[in-house]
Amino acid sequence: MPVKRTMAVTLAVGLVVAGCGTGTYDPETPEAKAYFAAPCPEPGVKPASDKEFTYWSMWTKDEPQGKVLGKAVRCFQEKTGVKVKVQWLGRKGYSQNLGPALNTDNVPDLFDQDVTKVAAAIVTPGGTQSVEDVYAMKVGEGDKTVRDVLSPSSIDFPQNKDKDGNNFLVPYETLSSAWWFNRDQTKNVQQPKTMAELYSLFQSSQTKDRSAVSQDGDISFYNMYFFTQLAERFTGAGGLYAAASDRSGQSWRNPGLLKAAEETAKLRPFFIDGWDAAKFPQNQQRWADGDASFLYLGSWAPSEVREYLTKQGVDTKVTFGSFQFPMPEGATHDIVEQITIGFGVTKKAKHPEAAKAFAAYFLNKELLRGIPDVASNLVPRPDVDVPEDLKSLKAVLDDPAKEHVLQYDGLESLAGGRWTTDVFDPANLALLKGQLTPQQFIDRLASTQATFWRNQG
Amino acid sequence: MGAIAAHVGRKRRLFLPFLVPAMALYVAFLVLPTLATVVLSFTKWAGAGDTPKPNGVGNYQQLLNSEAFQFSFVNTLIYVFAGGVGTFVLAFLFTMVLRDMRGGKVVRAILFFPNIVAPVALGMFLGFVFKYQPHKQGLANFILTELGGTAQKFLAPDNVTWVVTASLIWASSGFFITILMAAVDNIPPYLYEDSDLAGASPWQKFTNITLPLTWDVIGVAGVLWTINALKIFELVFVLAGPGTYSPPNRAWTLGIFVFDRTFGSNGTPDFGAACACAVAMIVLVSVLVVALRRLMRRDALQY
Repeated sequence: MPVKRTMAVTLAVGLVVAGCGTGTYDPETPEAKAYFAAPCPEPGVKPASDKEFTYWSMWTKDEPQGKVLGKAVRCFQEKTGVKVKVQWLGRKGYSQNLGPALNTDNVPDLFDQDVTKVAAAIVTPGGTQSVEDVYAMKVGEGDKTVRDVLSPSSIDFPQNKDKDGNNFLVPYETLSSAWWFNRDQTKNVQQPKTMAELYSLFQSSQTKDRSAVSQDGDISFYNMYFFTQLAERFTGAGGLYAAASDRSGQSWRNPGLLKAAEETAKLRPFFIDGWDAAKFPQNQQRWADGDASFLYLGSWAPSEVREYLTKQGVDTKVTFGSFQFPMPEGATHDIVEQITIGFGVTKKAKHPEAAKAFAAYFLNKELLRGIPDVASNLVPRPDVDVPEDLKSLKAVLDDPAKEHVLQYDGLESLAGGRWTTDVFDPANLALLKGQLTPQQFIDRLASTQATFWRNQG
Repeated sequence: MGAIAAHVGRKRRLFLPFLVPAMALYVAFLVLPTLATVVLSFTKWAGAGDTPKPNGVGNYQQLLNSEAFQFSFVNTLIYVFAGGVGTFVLAFLFTMVLRDMRGGKVVRAILFFPNIVAPVALGMFLGFVFKYQPHKQGLANFILTELGGTAQKFLAPDNVTWVVTASLIWASSGFFITILMAAVDNIPPYLYEDSDLAGASPWQKFTNITLPLTWDVIGVAGVLWTINALKIFELVFVLAGPGTYSPPNRAWTLGIFVFDRTFGSNGTPDFGAACACAVAMIVLVSVLVVALRRLMRRDALQY
């Protein structure tokens, strides 16, 4: 029996580790059935000369997004006669396959990943071409173009542009983050208006057997949410990135950033015992099991957790709710974070025309709705409905009054990702563990960052 | 006379045909890549369609000043030395008792078992053993609390190096016991019988017979250990982190540093820095192996 359980858990780990942005694929849900049974829409653009193109996918063939894109590929072949050669490479395909392939002429025409990873690993060395022309293509719904159907915040931001100022990504999935809770277990939760309200919500949700907040502390970029979320409310889009890029490190002496660190430190008492010795996905599963009331995580949280609950044989008719961090006192930017996943076209592509036509085709509502309907994730088209779990998060993302900020303000890609591992992560972990006071945290960032940038030459 | 000369001549003619293919393969797949690593360590290269740009000793300067590299370096040395001392002490203890023990062969075989499991699988498994979760502890904390102790956060970044060291000792001592016992088996039994008659203790037998007569083998085993410990990667990667992304840099080893700079979780690959770290590893292993050989140099004993 113990052996069996270990096996089951090991399998679960293997599956969940497959990563962020995945969802549950349950072909039995009526939405999924309807999606795959629906006829193929007509493409808005048919390639004139290309007879084939190659697509290296960040998904695997059998995961939900892979199935959805698989349908789009079949439909595109059927409607245009263009042959699509797909390789389902998974999340690491961009760094382990595409990166090295760019040294050769043997590159795919189309690939996909999130905007930060593409910018850091593919755009910086010059591996992509402009997709501005895709934005003007028709998606197959009358005269509507790609630009017409996408939310402006999903394409118009500086980190989505290459060094010539052209966009390099055609987004088709949106990730965001929020505080998540189980509606059946933690009832009557409203969006807290102040930090005091947030803390009192946490306080009142604690019982002898239940902590307020669960956290998998072994993933550095999960630990990163708290401070960056709060800090961005003081600095606004690009402000944190600017502070982190400052060679002297003195930009950290901004009073708002210290305030953000102080609020971050106040969260610590609410964290679940053992968060700092966790092994992902142990603690998000403890949250799912009811050991904690709240979890701060990306928009993939409900689908990832539901997959775990299904394997546990638990009734999965639970619904999840979410809310955002409130505005800390003195903060002036009402932000929401998002990051897009989308298609890029390589610079050396042999069939860019067909690749671009496919990218536009996938944004057709009848195809794109597979991302929420089958894969339980958000899309950058505001007019596509999402599952119950994600409705409150979608409302925040669609709110024009919100200031949209790239996830972590793009800090992940700074200095090729080394800024986070060398400067931020160790200090952030120490702050969360109470080994550094907020002031020491700021001091340490200022000094290690100065050394770091001097060192980068 | 003529026959011998002809034989030597034939041998000479065969020398090149035998040597060249092996040399060619060795040069093509080992020497040249190593040289390329050294050359690339003086460049900046993302390895994705751009060309390597020379930047002198920049990568090495960055290495020395990088906190991540310092953690990696210290942790690797901990594995080499603390893990090495632990493994060999354990191995010697076993050689002292296993020789005389009934069923020693069976025990030896059992001790070897951890070696047949892949380190990744071992890491996954140990992750459950060292789990910290109140009311649902892993095996280690379960035993600890049953015995009246307090549960420990074994997998916290500050502690994980020592947990991995202990795991490593547990996992690899069987291998070295096997090697050392093979050498001990070659020692003529009469030496031990003689010392028994003289009333020697197990410790005296160990220091006066076993140790001097297995000295060469211990030296080779030491070199093997050093090389293996220097490239530790998987066990730490899966035990200290989530398994998909790099663990917190406090727990890194040089191997993880190279991996992170090559296929970093998020970001541009930095092949130059990865190569510089690989060169540092080559230097470190050379220094340690030469030092060890020096330390272990004795005249071979004939018996």
